[in-house]
Amino acid sequence: MANALFYLMALLSVASALGVVLAKNPIQCVLSLLGSFFCLATIYLLAGFQFIAAAQILVYGGAIMVLFLFVIMLLNLGDPGTADKTDARMFSRPNVAAVVVVAALLLGVAVYAVKLSPVVHAAQELPERGIDTVHGLAGEMFGRYLLPFEAVSLLLLATAIAVVVLAKRERSPKRGAKS
Amino acid sequence: MTVPSEHLLILAGILFAVGAAGFFLRRNVIVVLMCIELMLNAANLSFLAASRMHTLKAGALGPALEGPIFAIFVIVIAAVEAAVGLALVIALYRNRQSVNLEDVSDLKD
Repeated sequence: MANALFYLMALLSVASALGVVLAKNPIQCVLSLLGSFFCLATIYLLAGFQFIAAAQILVYGGAIMVLFLFVIMLLNLGDPGTADKTDARMFSRPNVAAVVVVAALLLGVAVYAVKLSPVVHAAQELPERGIDTVHGLAGEMFGRYLLPFEAVSLLLLATAIAVVVLAKRERSPKRGAKS
Repeated sequence: MTVPSEHLLILAGILFAVGAAGFFLRRNVIVVLMCIELMLNAANLSFLAASRMHTLKAGALGPALEGPIFAIFVIVIAAVEAAVGLALVIALYRNRQSVNLEDVSDLKD
């Protein structure tokens, strides 16, 4: 039952990833991406990673999705009339053929590497509380990985400042803002 | 779930290939950013597959927590990248009234 659910979710996530690549309208791309995120969260849950599944839904399904939708609505790109024209040209036959060949090669190498690596048979049952218990994660995060954790907090601060600087409209009278 | 962890890795490879294909094919900056998110998600999945493989193998002492820890870091980096990327898109749209990458080829010639 759980195995069937895994394969169903794997199929759905690949299908919605293809939807992101192939859809013309950016809104459809965002919604496909959301579906892919939810399918992946289900897969994480099935594989025994409860915390990562919750973080996936909160951060990807919540924050990042809202950012994308907000920008698309702000720039008014949702209209079918404003769908980019050159994308049709980008899906010309040589381009698609080249990309498909490269993707197939990449995938072939990946599958070959997986097949070549020594098979690790599952010798144990999954721990009852999953692999990433909050207790265990906190012990690692605030123990061995304390320095990266602090570095990430600095990165978040720098990002907040950078985004405000980048997205702020320039209003300096000396530069003679045009619009 | 008794699916072998290798199948998770193969799924990660497929998702990464799809994301990379979109990254090279699309010319809309926002869709390109979405394809980067897809690729980061695939990387996350491979981290977690490796963690699961090492937790379930014979003689494992406990859960292999390196995978989930790095997955959390990747999620943070993905959020940061989306925020900065979309701020750049807004700045670009303000200057060029376009989100098409073909219009931003000043350094090409």
